[in-house]
Amino acid sequence: MAKKTIQANEIRELVLDAIGEIFCTAHPETRQLLENALAREKDEIARDMLETILGNHEIAQRESLPLCQDTGLLVVFAELGNGVLIEGGSLRDIIGSAAAEAWDKYYLRDSIAWDPLRRGTNQKGTTLPLILHLEQIPGDELILHFALKGGGSENCSFLKMMLPGAGMRGVEEFVIQSVVESGGRPCPPVMVGVGIGGNFEECAILAKKALMLPSEQKDEELREMEERILDEINKRGKGVMGFAGSTTALKVCILAKPCHIASLPVAVNIDCHAHRVTSRRINVSRETSDDSGATR
Amino acid sequence: MKQHRLLVPSKGTDFSHLQPGDKVLLSGVIHTARDQAHQRLVELISRNESLPFDLANTALFYCGPSPTPPGKVCGAIGPTTSSRMDPYTVPLLEQGLKIMIGKGERSADVETAIKKYGALYLVCCGGTSALLAQTVISFDLFAWPELGAEAIYRLEVKDLPCYVAIR
Ligand code: SF4
Repeated sequence: MAKKTIQANEIRELVLDAIGEIFCTAHPETRQLLENALAREKDEIARDMLETILGNHEIAQRESLPLCQDTGLLVVFAELGNGVLIEGGSLRDIIGSAAAEAWDKYYLRDSIAWDPLRRGTNQKGTTLPLILHLEQIPGDELILHFALKGGGSENCSFLKMMLPGAGMRGVEEFVIQSVVESGGRPCPPVMVGVGIGGNFEECAILAKKALMLPSEQKDEELREMEERILDEINKRGKGVMGFAGSTTALKVCILAKPCHIASLPVAVNIDCHAHRVTSRRINVSRETSDDSGATR
Repeated sequence: MKQHRLLVPSKGTDFSHLQPGDKVLLSGVIHTARDQAHQRLVELISRNESLPFDLANTALFYCGPSPTPPGKVCGAIGPTTSSRMDPYTVPLLEQGLKIMIGKGERSADVETAIKKYGALYLVCCGGTSALLAQTVISFDLFAWPELGAEAIYRLEVKDLPCYVAIR
């Protein structure tokens, strides 16, 4: 069967569209969770801060200004159908140059340290360094999941190769402590992604995926675990901005994969309330859609 | 929740009426400084060279603004994580710095020094940068343009909403 092609320009347009949406538009689910939190929150300062956060959503949209001055690093999970051929460059180059264009077009902040150790020079490139995870899937589609990931929340990331005997309770405690000890640094209320299993690098990727990809927890025990972790974080956490109230986390998402019998890798990745994620899909019939219902 | 108005410069100002958790609407001239700018300021101090501004006459806002779109006063502005500035903060307090604006906790050393020097650490709500931008009256690149978002910008603000964290 001949492969169907997707042209570079189609991907470019989709990248511009996706980034153009998320830099200034609150994520609908996160907004709902923030509204629910405000309805529950009793602390006066925390309420004031939550109202400020919700007010910011409206101003950002109206003024086309970034939700946060840290417009982040671009992270992309790409799922490429085995029946699809991309013409006009590698996926990394196509997305990277479209992202550079988006950064100029929407006045996003250049937050790249081109050399992680020798900093202090402001370099500019025609493509933007991005974090790209590419996976092949069966079929005729290209699905792209985007995140603008801020540095403050990304700095609050944790990975531990736990003892297999630690079990569910041990994992829960590790996740809770990771979020609580992060205090105000990741701009709580936060979204919490947890990766369990795989190996060293895969559990980290799972934690990021748990944050970025739309999904519903199908494993009943993991769903209960997510709820227990969320409750406990909000009991023990320091509240909005690590400052006040009982709203430290909005949501906990767990993704689990098989692992070695000797291992229990666990990773925690945190995103702030400025949760800038979205997905897009191109299928061979050339239809592009907003893909909030994509499957993992 | 008590609310206060605070004007910068605040030379000689006594912050003793402010309690942790109080809301402060800050007005006046403040300067942004992030990691790179802090490193340079502390290097200047250690070489006994003069700083680009009088620390006692301003507030340092831990912030790297996003670029200014055409027709706007500034882009998005908001706090970055303060603890990254902890290693540089005590020398700045010794030089007269009185007000810092950021987000998150400070180290024990910095907390002690803030109290010792009668300074004030304010927390601003992170991720509310389009809203905070509305409080900016003027915005100028002030020093070290080669640092991009990490350069020092001079902001005149009116009623920037903050909360007292340490004083
Ligand atoms: S953690 Fe998120 S909201 Fe806070 S400064 Fe970073 S990007 Fe902005």
